[in-house]
Amino acid sequence: MTTTTETGTDAPVAPKRNYSVLFALTLVGLLLLLCTGLAIANPIFLSELNITNLLRQGSMIAILAIGQTFVIITAGIDLSVGAIAGFSTVIIAMLLQAGVAPWLAIVITLLVGLGIGIFHGFGITRMGLPPFIITLATMTSLRGIGLLMTKGSTISINNTTFTDFSTQSFLRIPSLFWMVILVAVPAYIFLDHTRWGRYLFAVGSNPESARLSGVRVGRIVFMAYALSAFFAAFVGVLLATRIGIGNATQADGWELQAIASTVIGGTSLFGAIGSIHGPLIGAFILAVINNGANLLNVNSFWQRIITGFLIIVIVFFDQMRRRGR
Amino acid sequence: MMTAPTATATAQATAPADQPILELRGLQKNYGPVQALKPASLAFRRGEIHAIVGENGAGKSTLIKLLTGVIRRSGGEVLLDGAPVALANPEEAIAHGINAVHQEVVLCRHLTVAANVFLGDEQTRYGLLRKRQMTRDAQRILDDMGFNIPAGAMLGGLTIGQQQLVATARATVRGTRFMIFDEPTAYLTRQEAAELFTLIRRFKDEGMTIVYISHRMEEVFELADRVSVLRDGTLVGTRDIADTTETELVSLMINRTLDQIYHKEQIPRGAVLLETRGLTGKGFRDISLSVHAGEIVGLYGLIGAGRSEFALSLFGRHPAAAGEIRWKGQPVRIRDVNAAIGLGIALAPESRRDQGLNLNLPIGLNLNLPVYDRITFGPLVAAREEASRADRQIADLAIKTPGRRTLASSMSGGNQQKIVIGKWLNHGAELFIFDEPTVGVDVGTKAEIYRLFAALLKRGAGIILISSYLPEVYELADTLHVFRGGRMAGTHRYRDAADEVVLAEAIGVE
Repeated sequence: MTTTTETGTDAPVAPKRNYSVLFALTLVGLLLLLCTGLAIANPIFLSELNITNLLRQGSMIAILAIGQTFVIITAGIDLSVGAIAGFSTVIIAMLLQAGVAPWLAIVITLLVGLGIGIFHGFGITRMGLPPFIITLATMTSLRGIGLLMTKGSTISINNTTFTDFSTQSFLRIPSLFWMVILVAVPAYIFLDHTRWGRYLFAVGSNPESARLSGVRVGRIVFMAYALSAFFAAFVGVLLATRIGIGNATQADGWELQAIASTVIGGTSLFGAIGSIHGPLIGAFILAVINNGANLLNVNSFWQRIITGFLIIVIVFFDQMRRRGR
Repeated sequence: MMTAPTATATAQATAPADQPILELRGLQKNYGPVQALKPASLAFRRGEIHAIVGENGAGKSTLIKLLTGVIRRSGGEVLLDGAPVALANPEEAIAHGINAVHQEVVLCRHLTVAANVFLGDEQTRYGLLRKRQMTRDAQRILDDMGFNIPAGAMLGGLTIGQQQLVATARATVRGTRFMIFDEPTAYLTRQEAAELFTLIRRFKDEGMTIVYISHRMEEVFELADRVSVLRDGTLVGTRDIADTTETELVSLMINRTLDQIYHKEQIPRGAVLLETRGLTGKGFRDISLSVHAGEIVGLYGLIGAGRSEFALSLFGRHPAAAGEIRWKGQPVRIRDVNAAIGLGIALAPESRRDQGLNLNLPIGLNLNLPVYDRITFGPLVAAREEASRADRQIADLAIKTPGRRTLASSMSGGNQQKIVIGKWLNHGAELFIFDEPTVGVDVGTKAEIYRLFAALLKRGAGIILISSYLPEVYELADTLHVFRGGRMAGTHRYRDAADEVVLAEAIGVE
């Protein structure tokens, strides 16, 4: 079959094929360059303790970024993921305090997250609200609800099997990073090898064309936001194991770190362009920058400046190359 | 494009009094292999009202865009007062005093009328806007033109017709010498149209040259001094209004030298596939028609006549408000697109860019979009099946591409249209609706698309062919329905009426 496609190759186009691979390699190269530089500058960087710490730091943002990617591929945005994570620590802490079995507490928390995501889908597809607005609204109100539920205090988690999870390692790799793999592999299969993944891209590229091709656009939008919120609730559970408390003000600003990771990973905010590996690498580039800044005693304010600068540079080059095609 | 300044100076110095204000010499525009405007030469006389008529897609808007600097020409030259001008961008055209009032109002709805009139040309003092002054001046201009429009009102609150008049006022404050009106009365009431005509005549008396583009013959004969006819991107003739008739103009607009590409095959008509009775929805009223297997039903009319709205409604995008649809004799309700697809209806929509394609995605994904529910293996997409289906369509339709991974955006118009069609061939359907399938498509691809129609018919499918290009529907359709203003204005069997009659029905000439 493929031989017959060569009948006419005079179309003035460049094949897309190698581009995404090249971009991913560039990102990996950047990550390695950062690591090498830091290892030379400060040998502590390569210590097992530091690497473990770095992986834990990066893991939660990475999972948020994967969820965010689904939404951004549909040309939407989810500003609420940080708030959902913080809120989820409250939910699970209260459930554990009430004596609910950990597995059940986790399931309930995840379902609450899913519910929030479905609410987003409802607001966007049924009420016609822009994604930015509906998720901005939940972002602020969830923090308020969480604080109301705890009356502004912090709930500590006394279940040690639960809190020990975050400090454990398997095959010398921290459990939190295993969670990234647990999420990323199905997410990759979902995005690249199921028809729902194809539909996400189609909706992000041109919802009208997708609809006229028989794609149920509303359902796909629901799905994207439900997944993002679900992943955020999962991050909330992981965060609760790590800090051992429930507090609605936790995970402050993580939504922006997740969006930054996604964008650094080559996802287009205009939709229809994105991958799973990109945001993963993006999240760990940010984690290495933060870690390195701490090690080198760089004023933490600089971390933010460097992050902002990096976003501009990477996205600018990405845009330039896309346009050059 | 620019010639030596010395030539310009001498040309101006020796300009005779009756020299044309604007002259086109072999002006042309190509989009890839598609000739939107074939080399055209035409001289506009100073102070005349010059009408330009032609079917949709005849090249009128291309000509306007060239003259107003919106697009750049592919060849030829334009002489203003005998001196060549580049018209490289809209600013330059405006600086030369060339201005246009477009069919669609391109103003800011959220600003006041006065702000719109002076947009880009604001009066300021110490860097601050002189709002009250501008409102007063705008009001004076509007009153002077005889428009009853408050200058302080928000533009968005006005009717489309009033907005059009504001656009006219706006064009005049910029020292316009050469004004183009593109179908200005499309949205105007009778009263507003009369006001506009009075104004246009006054502009003429003040020495302005007017180009007036319209479908409406009665307006052309009421207003114009001369008329030029465009057909298929060719300027086919210019007449003095006094020396011509509606009949002559209509016959000029119609392509008499039909291309070889239309050859209609006789295919036996089968059972009724689809029937509508009194179907009414947004943009169309009381449409009753039927489509048989093996038959092409043509829907002809001007843009905005309600044909595409009818098609989208049949396809479940905007379900009809009243009336009945029968599918193979059974009454059905088509509530959404998936219901239509489920019945076996396919739509290649009017706008490839906005409705037909996911441009920044690969060709393969576009081709398979309607069939992903069939090519999954468990939860996963069957990659080999996905690839082979895409490759089959690319081969069958001879889509010129390096491969299925190429983005749809990088393809030419003809190849993009093939992708839109291919996606429904891949899916399979019994009724194919093609809405303007050959717009922006080169002649070779056109012929391929027509051959494809025949192949579909032989397989027992029915086709609804929507086109603004009369030769296409006239030569291909077994049954031809003419739409005008959302209603059916006429129905003909293959070649039982002259093409002039069909065109006259669509335009509304008796």
